[in-house]
Amino acid sequence: MFLYEKKLEYPVNIRKKDLKMAKYLMSQYGGPDGELAASLRYMNQRYSMPDDKGRALLTDIACEELNHIEIIAAMIHQLVNGASIDELEKAGLGGHFVQHDHGLFPTDANGVPWTSAYIETTGDYIADIESDMAAEQRARATYEHLMDLTNDKDVLGPLSFLRQREVVHYQRFKELRNYYLEKKI
Amino acid sequence: MKNYGVNDYYNYMNNNYNQPLYNQQSFNNMNKVNSKLFDPYVGFISGNMFPDLYNAYKLSNPLEIEPMNEQAELLTSIDALCFACIDLNLYLDLYPEDKSAIELFNKYRVQKEKYEKEYERKYGPLFISSDALNTFPWAWDNSPWPWQNK
Repeated sequence: MFLYEKKLEYPVNIRKKDLKMAKYLMSQYGGPDGELAASLRYMNQRYSMPDDKGRALLTDIACEELNHIEIIAAMIHQLVNGASIDELEKAGLGGHFVQHDHGLFPTDANGVPWTSAYIETTGDYIADIESDMAAEQRARATYEHLMDLTNDKDVLGPLSFLRQREVVHYQRFKELRNYYLEKKI
Repeated sequence: MKNYGVNDYYNYMNNNYNQPLYNQQSFNNMNKVNSKLFDPYVGFISGNMFPDLYNAYKLSNPLEIEPMNEQAELLTSIDALCFACIDLNLYLDLYPEDKSAIELFNKYRVQKEKYEKEYERKYGPLFISSDALNTFPWAWDNSPWPWQNK
């Protein structure tokens, strides 16, 4: 079960409104390599893990990705807070306004809605862990693209943190994959 | 000097952030996977407790947390210890027989709980299991919620 902790894993305090950046950040909210997809991917795959190491690691990384959904959501919320309709339209968020006003809705950066097709579950633990390694690398690359698009330190801090977590998760998945291959479980 | 917070955090904030990044904590790892770890605050701002795994992009140094008040300062100390526990947790899932990592995890966990209790006493509940909920009126609703600008 899950209980809420009333804090973020990494603080978000963005002082400057930036609607274009908010639109781009949606890639990591509801995009194919975003945090929502990552969390639910590992949460679903954990049932196929062959031992306690795998069951523990996928559960714990799935939980950390839930923290990351919340960080990205807080960033988007603060970046669009108080924006006028005109400003939203100019940033390419007119369609978002029509359907969701200033609310959050999981899409990618182009407005394509999140889909469960992003959750890669085969029931084969090696196939699943290798797809997780690739997913962490894709998310790392996406965070680098997002970091390329801003110089606001309030935005770069959380993005840099989230990118580094992809580096660590990739390493842990790789270690788990190698362990299974060597042990021939 | 305020006597709450992670000790190292205040050292970095006040004295020696010129060369703090690789001031690593001794970590005698039986598995020899990593011999040294960052301290909780440096690990937290880096997003990584493991210097061997650390991989920088765009920023030459991790950005500092800049707490705007005492409440945010205390929360930063909790955040740093919480992060150290999260990262050690993932490591220990794969290396459950690394005794020194278990000891370090528990050291940070106990420190974290101490600061959490202090925070909850001063500013209200972080957890739905908190003693700080024995209040009238119900204290869980009170701002700030985590996504609100401070």
